[in-house]
Amino acid sequence: MHLGLNDDELVACVSCGLCLPHCPTFVITGRDTESPRGRIALMRAVQNEDAPVTDDLIRSMETCVQCRGCETACPSAVPFGHLMEGTRAALADAGRITPRWQRLALKGLRHRWLLMAGSTLLALAIRLRLVPTRRLGLPARMPLRRPPLRASGNDVWLFTGCVMDAWQRDVHLAVQRVLEAAGVGVEPTGAAAPCCGALHIHAGLESETKDMARQVMAGLSGDDRPILVDAAGCGAALKDYGHLLGTDEARAFSARVFDVHEWLADRLGELRSRHPVAPLDVTVAVQDPCHLRHVQGAHQAVPEVLTPFVTRVVALDDDGLCCGAGGAYSVMEAELSRAIRERKTAAVARSGASVVASANPGCSLHLAATGLDVRHPLELVDQALSSSRV
Amino acid sequence: MTPQASAGDAALVADLEAAIGADRVRADAAARYLASRDASIYREGNAGPVCYPGSTADVVACVQVATRHGRAVSPRGAGTGLAGGAAPLGQPVVLSTTRMDKLLEIDLDNGVAWVQPGIVNLDLTRALAPHGVHYAPDPSSQAACTIGGNVANNSGGPHCLAYGVTSAHVLAVEVVLSDASVVTLGDLTAEPTGYDLRGAFVGSEGMCGIATTVAVRLTPNPPAVRTMLLCFDDVSDAAATVSAIIAAGIVPAAIEMMDQRCVTAVERFAQAGYPEDAAAVLLVEVDGAAGGVAIAGERIADIARRHQAMSVRTAADDDERARLWKGRKSAFGAVANVMPDYYLHDTVVPRTRLVEVLDSIYEIVDRHDLLVLNVFHAGDGNLHPILAYDSRVPGADERVHAAGREIIELALDMGGALTGEHGIGVEKREYMSRMFSAVDLDQQSRLRASFDPHCRMNPGKVLPSAHSCSDIGALRASDAAGVWG
Amino acid sequence: MTEFDGVLRTFAAEVGSDGPVCVRGGGTRWSLGGDLSPGTREVTAPAGIVAFEPAEMTVRVRAGTLVTELHEDLAAAGQRTALPERAGGTVGGALMAGESSVARLGLGPVRDALLQVRYICADGRIASGGAGTVKNVSGFDLCRLLVGSLGTLGLVGEALVRTVPVGEVERWVRLPGADPGAVRSCHTAASVLWDGTDVWAFLSGYGVDVDEDLSRLAGPAAEPPTDVDGPPDLPPHRWSCTPEQAASFGSGNGAAGRFVAEIGIGVVHASEPQPARPVDPGVAELNQRFKERFDPTGRLNPGRDPLRKP
Repeated sequence: MHLGLNDDELVACVSCGLCLPHCPTFVITGRDTESPRGRIALMRAVQNEDAPVTDDLIRSMETCVQCRGCETACPSAVPFGHLMEGTRAALADAGRITPRWQRLALKGLRHRWLLMAGSTLLALAIRLRLVPTRRLGLPARMPLRRPPLRASGNDVWLFTGCVMDAWQRDVHLAVQRVLEAAGVGVEPTGAAAPCCGALHIHAGLESETKDMARQVMAGLSGDDRPILVDAAGCGAALKDYGHLLGTDEARAFSARVFDVHEWLADRLGELRSRHPVAPLDVTVAVQDPCHLRHVQGAHQAVPEVLTPFVTRVVALDDDGLCCGAGGAYSVMEAELSRAIRERKTAAVARSGASVVASANPGCSLHLAATGLDVRHPLELVDQALSSSRV
Repeated sequence: MTPQASAGDAALVADLEAAIGADRVRADAAARYLASRDASIYREGNAGPVCYPGSTADVVACVQVATRHGRAVSPRGAGTGLAGGAAPLGQPVVLSTTRMDKLLEIDLDNGVAWVQPGIVNLDLTRALAPHGVHYAPDPSSQAACTIGGNVANNSGGPHCLAYGVTSAHVLAVEVVLSDASVVTLGDLTAEPTGYDLRGAFVGSEGMCGIATTVAVRLTPNPPAVRTMLLCFDDVSDAAATVSAIIAAGIVPAAIEMMDQRCVTAVERFAQAGYPEDAAAVLLVEVDGAAGGVAIAGERIADIARRHQAMSVRTAADDDERARLWKGRKSAFGAVANVMPDYYLHDTVVPRTRLVEVLDSIYEIVDRHDLLVLNVFHAGDGNLHPILAYDSRVPGADERVHAAGREIIELALDMGGALTGEHGIGVEKREYMSRMFSAVDLDQQSRLRASFDPHCRMNPGKVLPSAHSCSDIGALRASDAAGVWG
Repeated sequence: MTEFDGVLRTFAAEVGSDGPVCVRGGGTRWSLGGDLSPGTREVTAPAGIVAFEPAEMTVRVRAGTLVTELHEDLAAAGQRTALPERAGGTVGGALMAGESSVARLGLGPVRDALLQVRYICADGRIASGGAGTVKNVSGFDLCRLLVGSLGTLGLVGEALVRTVPVGEVERWVRLPGADPGAVRSCHTAASVLWDGTDVWAFLSGYGVDVDEDLSRLAGPAAEPPTDVDGPPDLPPHRWSCTPEQAASFGSGNGAAGRFVAEIGIGVVHASEPQPARPVDPGVAELNQRFKERFDPTGRLNPGRDPLRKP
């Protein structure tokens, strides 16, 4: 079966194995089938050696968290993320992965009113204890009402997305307050850009993702304002539109996208001179979301932004190994996902921090499910700013 | 191409699962396909069921089951070997040590740590850091390779110039032999009694037994370190500098050399700040007490300048030092920035003959119309010419092999060795007769047979076919490689 | 592959292919591992340096060469080997006994010094193990196997031995009442000996580093170090202990008599012999298998057995 992968990208792997310790599933299982090098060899076997697509081979692909930690570690610069997305697209097209119910659920993310209504129902069900939150990896508490998003100017877009907006709107509001404190007028994207498509591309739904990308680009066209993103997964997806669609327009769009921390890091001086603050008395461990560290390479901005606002920022000692959330991964591969998470929570425990800062909603929900106090970095900044204001 | 489960495997797999648990055995085509290969370009491996033991008892049980079914056993660590040593031949039961990865004990009084074989080399060193000690051998693959694999290959690394290879750092090793008995070779005393079986075992490429626990020596972190980058616009000047440093009685912790093509390839990934216009760079590290380090550093800089060094740069801090090393250690993988395939050699030559050997290598490679990247442990004369090519180009494989053969013969003619740290595996097996006489090989085969009289451990490696008759018996049990499915 | 020279071939002919045979070196460790069976023919290994390449830091030397003579030659180039110097002791003897120099902390053990070995097999043929380079992993490691084998697996004719630079400054000092652990932590300490009371240290390295270590050791609480000619008289028997046991040797080893412990190494020199060490039956069987494979008729150094080394 031809997977439609670029042959030059596929043969770029020289099997050196330097990716192995950076792959969360290999670290847990110790099995080559669950390693980047192994997965690439299997892709090659299928595409170039006519090896049949067995159930075991599909498992090998499905167990990948798509954290792309292997890309950072790869001296040959193998674009593993693209290879895995391409493989999943081919497998999904052939009906071998991503069952119908999952496709249906993902479709729902594009329809904002459906998502909001569904989330409210879910929140209600959780309050009534009708849903086993822990087993499903859902937050123990979800908002019943969401304070409205309001534009405060038009310097930048704040990308609000789908699930995060429904479940963690408080974070968007905090981010908006921090940006405003830096003197920036913020317009939330809201219905103009319903969903970035990250979960869809991970599930192999390539053509659907392209449709969504076009929708988002259309909604935010008309000017070249920066598009700030406070969810690492969404930011990575938006920054990849250039590659996904391959058009000049898409590349220009992707160039406008910034992770909010990376953008704010350049304007810290402005923020601090306007609002001298007393740092919060708390030790914060920074968890680097994979899509910030390995995909966007922008993770250094988080401790930089956080440092002036809390007494102590500590790095985790696990080389940025994935936490196992992986979007829908924590639901689809719950067992592996939890095993990977245990390594992360152990690293947090070693760090001695009482609060974990995570710049990605998926990671944050996944880690909070263990009882950790997980906040968005800018929620902490917002808290420091507001307590100084009083 | 890809391994086919033979009919007899169902019973074997069932017995393995009964012995160590179903979650520790994989026999599907994908798992076997991947267990059939390592980081070398050898692709004829053919794995049987793959086991992931968690303890010595599990290993014993697997060896027993394999023997009962007339199957050999091949151990596997991270599969980062470059000579096909971990590529199983004849569908043996593959024992992957990746789940035996514990650091069992740190014994500072005796300067030793007890570890399981699957622990990753760098993870061990990191775990030791709070104690002010480290594990000295540091192969380029140290971020991924396992101590068990290091023991099997007697692995080296840049810092082996001053500290010695794996053999000098393994004090004792618990081994499961081919008859499933467990023995501990060596101990923590100064001079263990009997033959040095631990020394004989290290570097035996999995053919003498399976290491299940290893006592490794802990090396105190040096009080001072100086890392220098010496740049030259002539490869010969760089090589002559290496010889001159050694001749001056300085034994640096490491002397590494990279030529221009290699520098260009790694710089793209590591951004170590190597000058891409230099014909060759030397990465030299001296360590020890602060005063001596300063003196040695100055002397080395003088020697380099006397050999027309373009620049002499000293790493200002740990960060810069780490970046300089990252570039060096990612060199093999970074070759893909130049060509999709590479064939890596690992010959050793007397270090006083580096200049002429390098000249000859460039000549050979030019003649075969190939690209070569040179990156190597210059201090001990351990060359790693990387022949970069694209196997999709017709005739490329043949040219690469022809040039490789000439390079190996060149090294041997200079009084060198076939391999300095990667091992013989299957890749260099047939060259052994070029380096050793029939008597020498007979003696080596006696060493192996003393450990494993029936040649059931990782058969078919190291010794050329004429000297491993019983291996052929073990290999005959195998089915021909079939189609996946 | 190299042709063996005439000297080696003559030695091989002397060893022959049958009848019990042994090589007599300096006889300094003649009784190690048991007494030779009566009627064993004695031969002598050839002597002389074949090639010394200072820039290579290796020396090719014949087994019958005296270690002291070898070191005299190497000293001219500022080098030496890890082989111990004993009056009359030969290179081959040092390799076959496998006992390290008292300066092992600085020089390393004998086993790591052997790079290539040419020896006569039990069937009288000449074999070569290892390689002519400072680094090599081509095939099985016959060098490690042969060091310390007491000539029971093969008779060494020639060896390529790693050399090390002699320190710019080298001093033996005596430190009355010093803490051996503290002395051991000195970077230039190439030997730290302790008799339960006093410490002797061999410092070797750059002058600045030796001075630095000496000034550290001459702290206010300690008696000042005094220069001495060399190590103290070593009691005759050699114990092989762990570094931890050696560091606390004074307590619980009353039967050992007077002792001098090598700190950081584990060798202890004592007036009484070390009690026999227990040997795991599996290890004993493996040793037996090696002897049978390498010397099926048991003609090489009959009566000797490395398992009976103390």
